Amino acid sequence: MNMLVGRLGPWIGGAIVLIALPYVFSSGFALTLMSQIGLLIVFALAYNMLLGQGGMLSFGHAVYFGLAGYFTIHYLNFIYEEEVPYIPVTLIPLLGGLVGLFFGILIGYVSTRRAGTTFAMISLGFGEMVTALTLVLVAIFNGEDGIQTDRVIGEELFGVTYGPNIEVYYLIAGWCLLCTLAMFLLTRTPFGRISNAVRDNAERVEFIGYSSQRIRWLAFSLSSFFAGIAGALHAVNIEHVGFEQVSVLQSGLVLFMVYIGGTGSFVGPIIGATLLYFLQSTLTGVTEAWVLYLGVMFVAVIMFFPGGLAGLITMHQPIWRVHSRLLAPLLIPYARFFAALVASVLGCIGLIEMLYFRSSRLSTETELIIFGIESDPFSAVPWVVFTGIAVAGGFAVRKTLPSAVSAWNTAIADARALPRG
Amino acid sequence: MNNALTLTGVRKSFGATEIIRGVDMEIRDGERHAIIGPNGAGKSTLYNLISGRFPPSAGGIRLYDTDITNKKAFEINRLGLTRSFQVTNIFARMSVLDNVRCGCLFALGHRYAWWKLVGRLRDLNDRTAVILKDIGLWGKRDLPAGLLSYADQRALELGIAVAGGANVILLDEPTAGMSHSEIEQAVSLIRRISEGKTLVIVEHDMGVVFDLADRISVLVYGEIIATGTPSEIRSSAAVQEAYLGTGAS
Repeated sequence: MNMLVGRLGPWIGGAIVLIALPYVFSSGFALTLMSQIGLLIVFALAYNMLLGQGGMLSFGHAVYFGLAGYFTIHYLNFIYEEEVPYIPVTLIPLLGGLVGLFFGILIGYVSTRRAGTTFAMISLGFGEMVTALTLVLVAIFNGEDGIQTDRVIGEELFGVTYGPNIEVYYLIAGWCLLCTLAMFLLTRTPFGRISNAVRDNAERVEFIGYSSQRIRWLAFSLSSFFAGIAGALHAVNIEHVGFEQVSVLQSGLVLFMVYIGGTGSFVGPIIGATLLYFLQSTLTGVTEAWVLYLGVMFVAVIMFFPGGLAGLITMHQPIWRVHSRLLAPLLIPYARFFAALVASVLGCIGLIEMLYFRSSRLSTETELIIFGIESDPFSAVPWVVFTGIAVAGGFAVRKTLPSAVSAWNTAIADARALPRG
Repeated sequence: MNNALTLTGVRKSFGATEIIRGVDMEIRDGERHAIIGPNGAGKSTLYNLISGRFPPSAGGIRLYDTDITNKKAFEINRLGLTRSFQVTNIFARMSVLDNVRCGCLFALGHRYAWWKLVGRLRDLNDRTAVILKDIGLWGKRDLPAGLLSYADQRALELGIAVAGGANVILLDEPTAGMSHSEIEQAVSLIRRISEGKTLVIVEHDMGVVFDLADRISVLVYGEIIATGTPSEIRSSAAVQEAYLGTGAS
């Protein structure tokens, strides 16, 4: 019984959170944001089936997301014109998944014949090719404008029309939970385990009866299926799909999400998708330098904590599993380090914002507000102040890091010394 | 007589260099057969040809009555031939338990299944437990395989190789780099796992070879210069000259 609660707990908790969220954040902006995060979680988890579980680095996975999106828009329009059989919008994501699966099987047959760099290059090639096609085949993809639809095609069960955003939110939340559960269970099947084995050591797999190529193809196809579901949800949510959704830009974004969240654990992509899309949609209105910050964040993760944000959490797992009080000595060194880090980052942000202001907004605006303080980038004072904060913060980071690391080392050693209980 | 493996005129060249220069060899069903020879004789290459890592340039290889000359590695494995590697070749980021599970999966018929959970497969978990206890790693089953000690990784390597229950087992220097006590354990482990099966073993430790093998083949510069029982090999003048006299004691 306890084991059952332990296993089902996270899922029931997740479901309750998904149901409750709109009551806490009920604005239109928040609903669209949460809907978009929900479908990006599906996309990021699908991507991690390749990268984290299967060891395949793809630069073109948006192809399956985007093509399913295009297909969904067309299908909804065809339903409207009564040219195709009616499918309720509730089940439309499944159709998108099948479109993703179809193209995944087709393109994957070619690209998964090789692993490693060759696979990455082929995926990039297909990504560019499909993006070019969407711009060339105007009759199907309508070029740079993309295509749009109206998701309200009739009344479904319980009078749901998917007109109001809240109904679309629950549609996406439901599919998100379902797909997350499905992908989690997939990691625990023979396929999932052998997929991990191919990631770790593709050659050895051949000598225990498996074709590593076949495993990669299967992983690629299943991943494309879930990417297709996410793409269809995107189409229903935004009611528009353009070449951006198949482009390398979108493929890069999902790579960033998964990597920053952490490829090594199942929840990593969920954290990454949530954080990145939240930052993106809130920061793009505030600063023009958002893309720069994203890039810096990505590089910082790769260099300093390749396990991603989830990796930072799981490295403390052995400690709190033994006893949570072992975490207490970590608090002060961590807080010191974190304060230093925040100071240096804030200083750098101030400098970057002033640079951006001076280089791009000269004519239109005259004042720059950074962290609520009006700063004049044409006087020396803010430059001196922000440089001072950045440099002092940087020194403090170097000073406080060793004690944070040694605190962790001590805690881990203590945890190993104690029996489990 | 029934042969587990039959090699006829097997040759392999890499570019202009011929590494295997016409090997004829018969491994009898159920015997323990050691292949010895100086460094660079082509022992590992011979293994790679038999197990399908790459195809021979000429000649034929049969596993019982099946021609496996140009088959792929996984096809040969499915026919009941397994091998271990000289350099430890495990799944480093996966748990020890999952390493052995992966070795069992295909042979138990679960193949590429994505609709059943490994935790629920009784046959799989029973077999995995037997193997883990046999190789002495049951207590370390939840550790990532990459964190095991060297000797434990060698044992795991053997475990993965034999997990599928293959009838013909090829071991490539299973005791390389081990201490004396570790070698003793490894030999008794090899004896146990090869019970009732056909074992081919490449080994540098002559103690292990003469202890374990029913028959020995001597490979020198890509050719088999002698095959026989341990005592025949010990007294063979050709072997003395080519190998034992210059190399090991």
